[in-house]
Amino acid sequence: MSDRSTTEPAGPVTVRVTRTGGIGGMRREWLAAPGPAEAPHWAELIERCGWHDTPSARTGADRFVWDIRAHCGSEEMAIELPDARLIGAWRDLVDAVREFARTPPPEAQKAPEAQERDA
Amino acid sequence: MVHSGALPHTAIVPPFLLSRIAEHAEPRFAQAAVAARATLARDPRASAGRAALRLDVEAGSLVAEVVAAPDRTISDAEGREDLPGVPVRHEDDDPVADRAVNEAFDGLGATFELLWEAFERASFDGRGSALFATVHYGRDYDNAFWDGERMVFGDGDGEIFRGFTGSVSVIGHELGHGVIQHASGLVYEGQSGALNESIADVLGALTEQRMRGQSADEATWLIGAGIFTDAVEGVALRSMREPGTAYDDDVLGRDPQPAHMRDYVETTEDNGGVHINSGIPNRAFAVTALALGGFAWERAGRVWYGALTSGLSPTADFAAFADATLVAAEAEYGEEPEVADAVRAGWVAVGVWQDERSLDD
Repeated sequence: MSDRSTTEPAGPVTVRVTRTGGIGGMRREWLAAPGPAEAPHWAELIERCGWHDTPSARTGADRFVWDIRAHCGSEEMAIELPDARLIGAWRDLVDAVREFARTPPPEAQKAPEAQERDA
Repeated sequence: MVHSGALPHTAIVPPFLLSRIAEHAEPRFAQAAVAARATLARDPRASAGRAALRLDVEAGSLVAEVVAAPDRTISDAEGREDLPGVPVRHEDDDPVADRAVNEAFDGLGATFELLWEAFERASFDGRGSALFATVHYGRDYDNAFWDGERMVFGDGDGEIFRGFTGSVSVIGHELGHGVIQHASGLVYEGQSGALNESIADVLGALTEQRMRGQSADEATWLIGAGIFTDAVEGVALRSMREPGTAYDDDVLGRDPQPAHMRDYVETTEDNGGVHINSGIPNRAFAVTALALGGFAWERAGRVWYGALTSGLSPTADFAAFADATLVAAEAEYGEEPEVADAVRAGWVAVGVWQDERSLDD
């Protein structure tokens, strides 16, 4: 595990995940806005992802498309990934956001706007 | 002689029986013997496909025909997102205890039959290639997809979606993507992507209608009926007849499909809204089929399939495809002007054409 002090964000952390496509073409959105106590852990999850990766070509049809946007202190990052690329650190981050939205942390640590949203 | 209805007489005939028939010298079995010899003479390396010998009795004579037959393999991903998974049912195997496996197997068979019986197309690639599908993909996986080589089905999350093999139209839709990939390669983005989605819906709906023996006016025109749980306010993923009416739910929101070009949705999501704007050509097909009446896979289906396989550009937009359907209608049904009239009515109804037109326009 890395030293959390190296990933201490200089401000709030939020991660928004939007899933579109799939055979139903339904839009789902999840937001995580962890409190200060959790922020270093989330910053580490965000840093492990390859935000400058070039997504591979899409193949087939009806695959999900994932739009992931993170604010980590003063930094803003965004990427669109085909479903087949949602692996490794990306999968860990998205699973964490969905879990955060599904099972909110204690109220004291949770930002009021954190919620699961469905378009 | 081709049996155009259901296929109660179709069977995979084992080699020993083919040999018996091939050697039969009785005149009234002459055609059957020729067909059997042709089946036996097939070089298995010449085609990836299997063949079946269809036997029927007409006017006291045994009639035989060699037809394409599916070669299905269903695998089980066992809840992981790794493909292909473990093979659990092959073509000649009996049904297994796993319902999803059997549903996928039967759905692929129904789609294969539609392609062969309605369009004389042997499998998704026209070369009789084997069909591969994987079930139980992922955990709580809310989707079914075509990965370029195989069909993949999740079990759903149990809260919004049941398993995706529960709808024949979904299975036909996924195999339909394989047909489209090989027939035209419609680019999966924007209008060509929406056409790709729409034609997959057409093939899915026709598979279900043919399996149920439903005429156009008897059909539901729904894609994915029955895959929502009871907790969802909705009947299906999409309605081809009335786009935008399939669901209206607190969690899922409202079905966003437009039914007319004036409501075309410009978006960067979903590959440019391929699952949204497909409602427009979907309704054009439903209007055409309902205007013609009867079985939709016969005339309307053949026109759409003819357009798909006519050398369509991979980047074709709705208007280009509409033109191709009119060309196909006039080429195949020149003696039945009501077919071209129904095609025109379909595209006018959704605003792709402003008014009725001919090929000279």
